[in-house]
Amino acid sequence: MSVQTVKRASLLKMPRPNVFLRKLFPYALIAPAMAFLIVFTVYPCINLVYLGFTDWNLVRPVKRFVGWQNYQTLFKRPDFAQALRNTAVYTVAMVVLLIVGSLLLAMWLKDNKKLNFVAQAAIFTPHIISLVSVSMVWQWLMEPKVGVLNTILRFLGLTPLQWLESSKTALMSVIIVSFWKSIGYYTLVVLSALQNIPAEIYEAAELDSASKWRTFYKITFPMISPQLFFLLIIITINSFKVFDTINIMTNGGPAGSTNVLAYYIYQYAFSYMKIGYASAAGTILLLILSVLTVLYFRVFSNRVHYQ
Amino acid sequence: MAKIEFRNVNKSFGQVRVIENLNLTIEDGKFTVLVGPSGCGKTTLLRMIAGIGPQTSGQVLIDGVDVTDVPPGKRGVAMVFQNYAIYPTMSVRENIEFGLKNMKVPKPERDKLIKEICDIVGLTEYLDRKPGTLSGGQRQRVALARAMVKKPKVFLMDEPLSNLDAKLRAAMRVELIELHERLKTTFVYVTHDQVEAMSMADTIVLMNEGVIQQEGTPEEIYSDPNNIFTAQFIGTPPMNVLELGRGGVKFGFRPERAQISRESSGRYYERLGRISTREMLGSETIYKVVTSDGPVMVKGYDSSFQTGDEVYVSVDKQGLYLFDSEGFRIRAGAPDYGALMELLGRTAV
Repeated sequence: MSVQTVKRASLLKMPRPNVFLRKLFPYALIAPAMAFLIVFTVYPCINLVYLGFTDWNLVRPVKRFVGWQNYQTLFKRPDFAQALRNTAVYTVAMVVLLIVGSLLLAMWLKDNKKLNFVAQAAIFTPHIISLVSVSMVWQWLMEPKVGVLNTILRFLGLTPLQWLESSKTALMSVIIVSFWKSIGYYTLVVLSALQNIPAEIYEAAELDSASKWRTFYKITFPMISPQLFFLLIIITINSFKVFDTINIMTNGGPAGSTNVLAYYIYQYAFSYMKIGYASAAGTILLLILSVLTVLYFRVFSNRVHYQ
Repeated sequence: MAKIEFRNVNKSFGQVRVIENLNLTIEDGKFTVLVGPSGCGKTTLLRMIAGIGPQTSGQVLIDGVDVTDVPPGKRGVAMVFQNYAIYPTMSVRENIEFGLKNMKVPKPERDKLIKEICDIVGLTEYLDRKPGTLSGGQRQRVALARAMVKKPKVFLMDEPLSNLDAKLRAAMRVELIELHERLKTTFVYVTHDQVEAMSMADTIVLMNEGVIQQEGTPEEIYSDPNNIFTAQFIGTPPMNVLELGRGGVKFGFRPERAQISRESSGRYYERLGRISTREMLGSETIYKVVTSDGPVMVKGYDSSFQTGDEVYVSVDKQGLYLFDSEGFRIRAGAPDYGALMELLGRTAV
């Protein structure tokens, strides 16, 4: 008897698992991951929506059901409208600035020159520094009387700004810091996409007498569109959820001018102890992000070229 | 239609000099194949003609005009890249049309040209497909169509068949020859495959380490090699080259010009040896025979010999080549040609 027949015989003697167990097996394999997901993602989401319909205050054990009352209050309050507006301005500014900025920087850095390695490192550095220390530095830079930025503005003969101290410029100041902090990471994403485009394609375009602009518009841009689409979604979500920068630099002020949705929710939940009200606001944030993401996929998916 | 000239061309990549002081004329309307091992500078030459990898110094002339400062798109050349370099985000039609659009060719004319070319290469039904959905052979055709549609004076091809399977490669070889027959334009074709070079070329330019080894028709290159490199690069198996045993002189003969026999044949060169390996290829059989001069390859139609047989390897006088110690050919008429040949014939079996 050869080795193979021996093996086959012993296999035949093995008890066959019954059909039910065999069907269950794959589910058993993914069960740990699913359990994790249900406990830490699905349940909190459902609970968030549920809490939005109660007036729980974190202290009382009773969660009284109040129906749509929290939502009615939300839409009546001007501070919520202001937070929504600030969030929208912040998000649009970040999406536009970061995508255009990272694209321009990546185009500049894509050739393998020594200077580019240095520049790349310099641009990426803010990403790895703690936001807390960075915020201190920026607060000092933006100090209206003796800060470096105003000193430069005065030197150039321009009107100095109030930066974080005025409700007119505070949001812009925060946007500048956030942009500076995250541009390096997004540039790196675009850069790797650009460097993955084969050189021959550009050479073929040169032989096809394509102008620089047409080469960018017809070849480079479509070829990095998957990465740009990814950035669009990630930046939108991150901007809608912005919290730490606001918390450290402005606490939502002055006069609520930098109050954004995430900070608003935090304030009501943990400073004013209105968990129900905060949950309703959180549900709205969840809704906006879901709608935006679906919308993005609907609008842009035809224009994104996956290979 | 265009003649291409290289005049004292040099090319360096950083500190590395790839091509030094090269002069070459590629004739108008001919199918010229640049062939050589990897890194010999053949693609570098092609890219100089295209203008996508300009020479470090020297001149490249197309139809007598120095094109050093002419951008690639304005040189009247079209190129087929090794991995096709098709624009992956454009449809087949857009790929073919891209160059025409850039040159502001009006739409009716573009449509006419695309239809005409696609009928020739057989792409008509794939025009609206994305390259990702095409097979290797079809992508190859897109690359060809994209080059043809511009009606260039010169076709440049950089190993265009190397990514195809053997069968398709053979078929495309014939198609390219037919295409050249029809268009009658200058074709410059780069390959490392000597079979492709031999089968397609009007003129072969054989290169090694940035230096042209020999230029000529396939027949010349095969039957009248200038040096050992040419003799061994062309032909499968390569020419047998052995020591003559005087002043570093070597002699050689092609495996297919040698014969093996059990009895002495009385040919000019004859050695007794033993068969060490036997490769049966179908119609032909290749034997490796160890003789007193060294191991030699013999190719023939007789497959009756077996490994271990003692046989005579013999070659006619016309099938023998002599090379000096530098590897250069010693042709008939050279001062010591007669004496060396005599040595070869006389040496004992």
